[in-house]
Amino acid sequence: MSGVVRREARGSVGAIVRRDLTVVGRSKAVVLPIVLLPLVLFLGLPLIVAGGLLLGGDQLGELEQLLTMLPESIRQQLGEGSLRQVLTVYLLEYQFAAFFLIVPLMVSAVIAADSFAGEKERKTLEALLYTPTTDLELYVAKLLGPWLAALAVVAGSYVMYALTANVAAGGLVGRLLVVTPLWLLIVFWLSPAVAALGLGVLVQVSARVRGFQEAYQLGGLVVIPVVILIIAQLAGVVFLDAAFALFLGAMVWAAAAATIWFGYRAFRRERLLLST
Amino acid sequence: MLAAMTTVTPAVVADGLTRDFGPVRAVDGLSLTIPLGQVSGLLGHNGAGKTTTIRVLNGLLSPTAGGASVLGLDPRTHGPQIRARTGVLTENPSLDERLTARENLGFAAQLFGVAGAAVAERVDRLLADFGLRERADDRTAGFSRGMKQRLALARALIHDPELIFLDEPTAALDPVAARDVHELIRAMAAEQRRTVVITTHNLVEAQRLCDRVVILRHGRSIADGTPTDLSRQLAGSGRVEIEVGAGQAELAAATVRDGRDGANATVEGELLLVDGVGRDGLPPVVEALVAAGVAIYRVTPSEPSLEDAYFALHAGNGT
Repeated sequence: MSGVVRREARGSVGAIVRRDLTVVGRSKAVVLPIVLLPLVLFLGLPLIVAGGLLLGGDQLGELEQLLTMLPESIRQQLGEGSLRQVLTVYLLEYQFAAFFLIVPLMVSAVIAADSFAGEKERKTLEALLYTPTTDLELYVAKLLGPWLAALAVVAGSYVMYALTANVAAGGLVGRLLVVTPLWLLIVFWLSPAVAALGLGVLVQVSARVRGFQEAYQLGGLVVIPVVILIIAQLAGVVFLDAAFALFLGAMVWAAAAATIWFGYRAFRRERLLLST
Repeated sequence: MLAAMTTVTPAVVADGLTRDFGPVRAVDGLSLTIPLGQVSGLLGHNGAGKTTTIRVLNGLLSPTAGGASVLGLDPRTHGPQIRARTGVLTENPSLDERLTARENLGFAAQLFGVAGAAVAERVDRLLADFGLRERADDRTAGFSRGMKQRLALARALIHDPELIFLDEPTAALDPVAARDVHELIRAMAAEQRRTVVITTHNLVEAQRLCDRVVILRHGRSIADGTPTDLSRQLAGSGRVEIEVGAGQAELAAATVRDGRDGANATVEGELLLVDGVGRDGLPPVVEALVAAGVAIYRVTPSEPSLEDAYFALHAGNGT
């Protein structure tokens, strides 16, 4: 009997995830930011940066100031070489690592806003609530869809960025760029955690709003911590290396687990129904 | 006979069911029994507690007080099990307009645990039964309200439920679409012997479709019975319309008033309208008129309707 119940639960969760992702794929308002953001950040921007590094002359000296702000231990991580090579490693491997975290946050936030608040807006929620799915299955399905989509976009963005960075600047450094322990931690440890945290926040936001746009706009605020991280790294206050990524990931997973847990405690059919 | 009756569990039993929303009491000590295999109607004005009752019975809302049993299960503790055996047509079709008709049904089939191999066959059959096969692969955003309602009704049947709740099934439909939905409901009830609960404030619809009705007011049941019984009990014995010869209407009215206590005769042109005689009292009335020399061209008795009963009931309750 328990086997039957588990199989049915998986079927319900899978059906909701597939439906949600199908519906998302047919919405320009959702697909456009998901496609454009990685293209701008990890194709357009690295090409501009790499072009600047390759073609830049005296202006590179101004960027040298960035390096002088870094602690000695971190400068050693950037390796030996010419100013151009060190700046390439610094910008494309370390600064873009912080940028990369915007992707899982934005993707999970946009899809979750559509999935939770959009369902209310489209008035499809009531029919879903009249199905035999339990509250837990509904909650898991609603989190799993955006999370899996975020991971897929993260993977695609990473491949695109790795190709772009290596094609544009790999020759300058003389080694493979972006295929490093830091980036593996970013892609497989920190990005899933950040996506989960974004979802946890969006669940809370979506429970309090009635429509996709409102949830999307409020959910967009989850990017602020990443923006702070980027600024802090540019200012030399923190440095996102592998050790910090490991630590940060643990912190973010803990925060994600807490927000998701509290979200589940508030996720009740009755409350969902009355909020429509 | 008694033993056979006691073994049949009613589809729904509510006992003192109460649901509050803050200071507002939407359902107020509602007690009712809905038998299996019949079409039952919950009638009432907007805000009478019909939709809230359906939500409580399906375990979407918990009752503030009282309890209920649906197909022998308690909605407070067995919501998912009840919902697996019921189909609900919500007042809003609640379809995903980015999906096609086929995808909407397929999605519901998966959620209701229809076996994988049976999904396509069942979806195709329902699309055909509900006249949607030609538009099966179109997104529902372009469907008319009537088509959406038919698709939503098909979705409510996707898992072959034992008990079907239809919440205002024809609200906002044009007369043609409403007639189509009525026919589908009648077919469901008559051919498939399903238990159907309809909430409506459309009294004509209730009279046409329901074997029995429960009239709700402010969340309470104020009458319960077959439409015919309720009509007779609550709206009196109906009216008889008699077309008499030119200039004879006043004579006819006086004859009726003199000859029958309690009969109320009024005149409208050449028509004599007689209330309160009932079916059995009609032959003596006609006999008296003929004896008085009144020429009679047409006698049309009309049964009291559920609508008459409903208004009589609400008038008696101060609304």
